[in-house]
Amino acid sequence: MLRYIEKIGRATVGSIEELGYASSLLAESFYWIVFGARRGQAVSVSATFYQMLQVGIAAIPICAALSFAVGIMLAIQGINTLKAFGAESQVVVGIALSVTREFAPLIIGILIAGRSGSAIAARVGTMQVSQEIDALRVIGISPVRYLVVPALLAMIVMVPTLTFFADIVGMFGGAFFSVLELDISMQAYIDRTIKALVVDDVMQGLWKSVVFAVIIAIVGFVNGFSVSGGAEGVGKATTRSVVQAISLIIVADMVFTFYLNH
Amino acid sequence: MNKKIAEPVVEVQSLVAHYGSCEVLHGVDLSIQDGEIMVIMGGSGSGKSTVLRHMLGLNTPTSGVIKLLGQDITHISASKMDALRRNIGVSFQGGALFNSMTVGENIALPLREHTQLDEKTIRIMCRMKLELVNLAGFENLMPAQLSGGMVKRAALARAIIMDPKLLFFDEPSAGLDPVVSAELDELILRIRQAMKTTIVVVTHELDSTFRIADRITVLDQGNILMVGAIDEVRNSKNKRIKDLLERRAREIKIDAEEYLNRLTGETG
Amino acid sequence: MTYKITQYAGYSVIHLEGDVDLSTSPNARKIILECIEAKNNVLVDLSGVDYIDSSGVASLVEGYQLAKSGNTEFGLVNVSQAALDVLQLARLDTVFPIHLSLDAVAKVAKEPG
Repeated sequence: MLRYIEKIGRATVGSIEELGYASSLLAESFYWIVFGARRGQAVSVSATFYQMLQVGIAAIPICAALSFAVGIMLAIQGINTLKAFGAESQVVVGIALSVTREFAPLIIGILIAGRSGSAIAARVGTMQVSQEIDALRVIGISPVRYLVVPALLAMIVMVPTLTFFADIVGMFGGAFFSVLELDISMQAYIDRTIKALVVDDVMQGLWKSVVFAVIIAIVGFVNGFSVSGGAEGVGKATTRSVVQAISLIIVADMVFTFYLNH
Repeated sequence: MNKKIAEPVVEVQSLVAHYGSCEVLHGVDLSIQDGEIMVIMGGSGSGKSTVLRHMLGLNTPTSGVIKLLGQDITHISASKMDALRRNIGVSFQGGALFNSMTVGENIALPLREHTQLDEKTIRIMCRMKLELVNLAGFENLMPAQLSGGMVKRAALARAIIMDPKLLFFDEPSAGLDPVVSAELDELILRIRQAMKTTIVVVTHELDSTFRIADRITVLDQGNILMVGAIDEVRNSKNKRIKDLLERRAREIKIDAEEYLNRLTGETG
Repeated sequence: MTYKITQYAGYSVIHLEGDVDLSTSPNARKIILECIEAKNNVLVDLSGVDYIDSSGVASLVEGYQLAKSGNTEFGLVNVSQAALDVLQLARLDTVFPIHLSLDAVAKVAKEPG
């Protein structure tokens, strides 16, 4: 019994420590973004673009495929459910709202957490093990400025961009199925979607995705920097960062949705 | 630049360090003079790597003073520390080359980050250092394509690219065959000769130590056993130092009852 | 670092004074390269140099290369022991034409062949 309490206590202290570390990482990142140039250590623009390419552009095909599939899935479920009320044609509104507000940011968040969040943890973990992080520090290069900031900025730009892209592809997926199933024209579908959507719906999803972007990057780096114990440690940190990032994304999504709809 | 610094280049005073709640350094004092090659020697677990990490400013000590080139790095502003680091080179045990960059990019990184030198100058400087460590023509290879000895030499080239006044070396011979290791020692001596660099080497290799050291500091279990010239260490009467030199295993006194308890897991 | 340029026996002599290090070598490089680009035969007098680091040496290397490609002469004069040590470390003492003094250069210049 006592052992369990001790275990819980340790875990609590551990997670509070980790939360503190995450906040300091975020704070330090903003410091470098704002004051880096003044200290003669400006954030590298080319590194940021390289990260954007890795995080964003390279993920376009898979994002397109997944959001198209989600759109079709929503259309199938929506039409089936609404059939019971004889309101199949309302599926257009349902797809538009659920894709922009919920599914696009969530799918992209989870996808990027699995794809790029894990890559961050693995890369930084490996650098930690091989003393490359130490090498950066003794050369006088802040690892936060050199590694964290470019990836963080790339995430903050690319995750919402991909989400917006997923909005469009997702709705197109929904339209693709609905047009075949409900016998309405594509033009009519698009007109009704535009009528149903307000800017706020899209913005709600995009704001969420900004928060998700920060979560993915910071969780990846916290786990990467904390690696100890060789290759096995890198593997553990990678898995851990994906699980943590996805869990935090879902919890944050819930909190966000609750406040935005009250 | 060439002003004679009367005070030691490295000065460590009563350094105490903990890992978690375990005290690993119990008040270490160390003083290294300008242009000297100081070898910090000790077995594994002696605390030599910990001393090095503190001297590099990678760990924060529990208490004590660490002065590099006259500045106390335990009480120094971040920007002053950055400036200080430009005068310090470090060659890590495994090389710690950045795997995502070519050898040339690795070596040029400190210059690209810290100076406004022309790209042409940077490239010539890189090639000069590669010539020096006998890696001419390897600048476009990736670190993964190099052998262990080549990685170490490339790491050395990166460490000295800014012509540091103070050079730290972590286990230069670890994992190298005797010939390559001897070559690296030769290189260390040549660098000191030409650039008047103060060099601090942390190692457990005896052959290497006796080849390069001006003075030796022997560390054991977080304490300094002795500091002295090669002969003084060789002729030391201290039992632990003799053990170290003769590569003898540590004798452990066995308390029969306590040992039995340890094995059976009984306490008391 | 300061410098002055004088003319001697058909050479432009660049006298460098003080430290040639990471912060001053870009300036030294500019002076040397400009002088060579103006089609002068150039000698760099290092007698006043207290300290030269590898960025300074790299600038000399670049100058020598430029002089060679432009078919003008380039050499070092009055190389102090400290500077020679740095050159030797990079095995460059065998590459550069190194003259003991300006007089030595003049003698060679007077006796062609």
